Amino acid sequence: MDLFMQQLVNGVTLGSLYALIAVGYTVVYGIVQLINFAHGEVFMIGAFGALGTWSYLLGESTSIWVLPIMIIGAVAASTGTAVIMERFAYRPLRHAPRLAPLITAIGVSVFLQEAVRLFYPGAKSKLPFPQIDVVTGPAFKLGGVVIQRAALFTVIALVICALLLWLFVNRTKLGRGMLAVSQDPDTARLMGINVDRIIVVAFALGAILAGVAGVAQGLQNSNIDFRIGFLAGLKAFTAAVLGGIGNIEGAVVGGLVLGVVEALVTQYTQYLPFGLSAFGGSSWKDVWTFALLILVLVFRPQGLMGARVVDRA
Amino acid sequence: MNTSTLPNGARGTTAVTVSRPSMQWYLTLAGVVLLIVGSLLSWCYDEGVLGNVSLNVNPGPIQVFMIVIAVLTLFFLLLRGGLFPVLDRLLDSARALRALGATATAFMVAVVIVIALQTSGLANADPGVFVALVGAALITWGSWSLASDPTVDPVSVHMRGWVDILVIVALLAIVLFGAAYALGQEDGTVFVLFLSVLGGVSLALARSGLFSWIRVIAQRHRQVLMLGAFAVAFLFPFTQNGSDANMSIATQVIIFATTALGLNIVVGLAGLLDLGYIAFLGAGAYVGATLSYSAFATIHWKPPFIVVMIIGACVSATLGLIIGTPTLRVSGDYLAIVTLAFGEIFRLAMFNLDGNNGPNLTRGPNGIPAIPDLEFFGFNFGDTHDIFGIPINRFGNYYFFLLVVAAIIILVFTRLNNSRIGRGWVAIREDEKAAEAMGVNTFGLKLFAFAGGAFLAGLAGTVKAHQDVSVTPDQYVFLESAFLLAAIVLGGMGTVAGVLIGATILKLLPEKLRFVSDYRLLIFGLLLVLIMRFRPEGLVASHRRQLEFHEEDTELAEHVEHAHLEATAGSEGTA
Repeated sequence: MDLFMQQLVNGVTLGSLYALIAVGYTVVYGIVQLINFAHGEVFMIGAFGALGTWSYLLGESTSIWVLPIMIIGAVAASTGTAVIMERFAYRPLRHAPRLAPLITAIGVSVFLQEAVRLFYPGAKSKLPFPQIDVVTGPAFKLGGVVIQRAALFTVIALVICALLLWLFVNRTKLGRGMLAVSQDPDTARLMGINVDRIIVVAFALGAILAGVAGVAQGLQNSNIDFRIGFLAGLKAFTAAVLGGIGNIEGAVVGGLVLGVVEALVTQYTQYLPFGLSAFGGSSWKDVWTFALLILVLVFRPQGLMGARVVDRA
Repeated sequence: MNTSTLPNGARGTTAVTVSRPSMQWYLTLAGVVLLIVGSLLSWCYDEGVLGNVSLNVNPGPIQVFMIVIAVLTLFFLLLRGGLFPVLDRLLDSARALRALGATATAFMVAVVIVIALQTSGLANADPGVFVALVGAALITWGSWSLASDPTVDPVSVHMRGWVDILVIVALLAIVLFGAAYALGQEDGTVFVLFLSVLGGVSLALARSGLFSWIRVIAQRHRQVLMLGAFAVAFLFPFTQNGSDANMSIATQVIIFATTALGLNIVVGLAGLLDLGYIAFLGAGAYVGATLSYSAFATIHWKPPFIVVMIIGACVSATLGLIIGTPTLRVSGDYLAIVTLAFGEIFRLAMFNLDGNNGPNLTRGPNGIPAIPDLEFFGFNFGDTHDIFGIPINRFGNYYFFLLVVAAIIILVFTRLNNSRIGRGWVAIREDEKAAEAMGVNTFGLKLFAFAGGAFLAGLAGTVKAHQDVSVTPDQYVFLESAFLLAAIVLGGMGTVAGVLIGATILKLLPEKLRFVSDYRLLIFGLLLVLIMRFRPEGLVASHRRQLEFHEEDTELAEHVEHAHLEATAGSEGTA
């Protein structure tokens, strides 16, 4: 039972990270029906933004008080990237055939990875991420279950971000404008909503959460490199689809579900009968995740919670 | 200035009126003379700058480029002077002259700057460089106010067949010698300069309307062009004199181009975005490797290579069928993600099947090394053979073999494209619902596109395994799929020529531009974004494709319709 609980905790931790990134996919998709393939890279740049803030602005201090500034640095880097990307890569293609923005997204993704690899000092190999007091250090023990401090940070970050996001979308004028644009951009425009601005806001919102996720990832793994965006982005996209793309609550739920499923699959496929156990364990977990992605896309493209966007399949 | 408009303005109404050349015309001519004379003189005392430009009457490579530009300018000037009235109707010489002048000037300014920077000041520059600069400036100035003369649509011009064929042959010969020359350049700077001159000249020719004329000719004499291109590719190894470096690049280019052509069926014809296509090449390569005589091969059955090729292609096609089935329910972006996930699954599976995490099939990250060279009827691909006294080495052997494979694939591609199946794909690509309503078997055709594309990639993969000597999972990452896609997008979706050009550019440039090799991927990413922004239909666009990206262009729409009618009328005439 402890083992199960432990995997559940691991899953929720992983899932919180996925959820934070997945929101970015879902918000953008809900508004412009674009798979922002480069969103994983925005997350990666968030992590590097935090690291850069820490090493160049904060004098490498590990006191807990630097954490908020690191988060601000991460969010600034990721949001800046996302807004520039939207302005120069995606906006000119808004009325182009669907293939064009997707290929652009691949180009942006490669470009951002390489830019970080080449221009961030030392980024050609893995870089150690600072271990900040309080949020890292000795793990908590709850019965037989180990809870890492960074894991707790991730989960709390997700809860706070989700709450703020919910408030933003449902209680502010800008957020309600977002809902309106996602339902019907033309009518929204007629009602006096600045659609271009809403799209920028959508990109920025996703990037803010991705920046926070970047910090969480750094704290959890204690190192980062320029490649982390690709896999995390793909998994988060899976989460977004799982929850129902365009649906913000769905992205959070999808992320958590995916994390838990991944943790449980890693643990329990080792006990598969008929020699199938050879295809279990951590080396095959990504294969199972991608298989899940394909199955969801094929059999339930609207996701668990129902997609806000109709007729994409 | 306005004197030029009078004689030239009359040009459009009647077919040709040979008019007395204007002042601008002589100005440009003077520029040409100065440019040639300047390029024949020494440019710089220092021998180490820009190749060697320090000799009189013995021009270095860069000076030769300038002379070529000058000669081209002269050609267009003479065209304007009324030397070849027929061509003058087709080509807009004023626009070409302007582009040539701008290229020459930009180029000469760059040369002056390079000389100033590399030899610490302009003191080392010889008069020749300034003579050439003035010549280039004169060309620009003179041509700037020349009036554009109206041209006719090349579709409506019919020349004698042999003229058309002569143009094709000349074009292909230029391509062959241009490629051999470019590849022969060891100096990176000269190579870049060559490319920029090539770019400028191409721009000039494109502005003159030469390319649209050639496109029409190429459509009329498709067979001749194909055969000619094949002959050029066939002759290429003979220009290399047994050199390994360029032949290895050429072999890589041809494998890449072959795979890209297979992907072009899926993406270009059927319009299904496949981001995991490299997996099919990988499947073929792994089949080729595991069934080879390598000591590390995990399957101890050694059929002849032809059988291996067929097995590899069939395994690939089966995977293609599997990944094609979701197309029944999924399309667009979701399909792209499905294929991407599939590609990742393939890579991870190949990585994991090492005996520890599953059955030992691929030896995991180590891959299968030491795959021996192919051998057909005692002909070993590893040996060097002499043909007409020119040594053809290992890469040359593979090159010829791959050329045959590529030819087969091109044949399949074009035949499919012009068949009922191909028209079905175009219908699906443009509007799937409408196609289905018209009775097109959309699901069957989409499956066929996937399976067919995968089959061809598998075929290429089995050869690639032998040519590469080893097969490892990290050769088949997502980035490679992105590269293949980029080759298609850059060249022009759904065209053969475009994909060949795109593949050549994407494989050749990184090999030649070693000094920017670290920035290779950065440039690649930027390139993708810029193409999508400024020329989404690619370098060589099929008109129909172009229309899909520029729906509001009614002139283009009429043109496509016209060309289409012409094509169908032509085929009915021959039938």
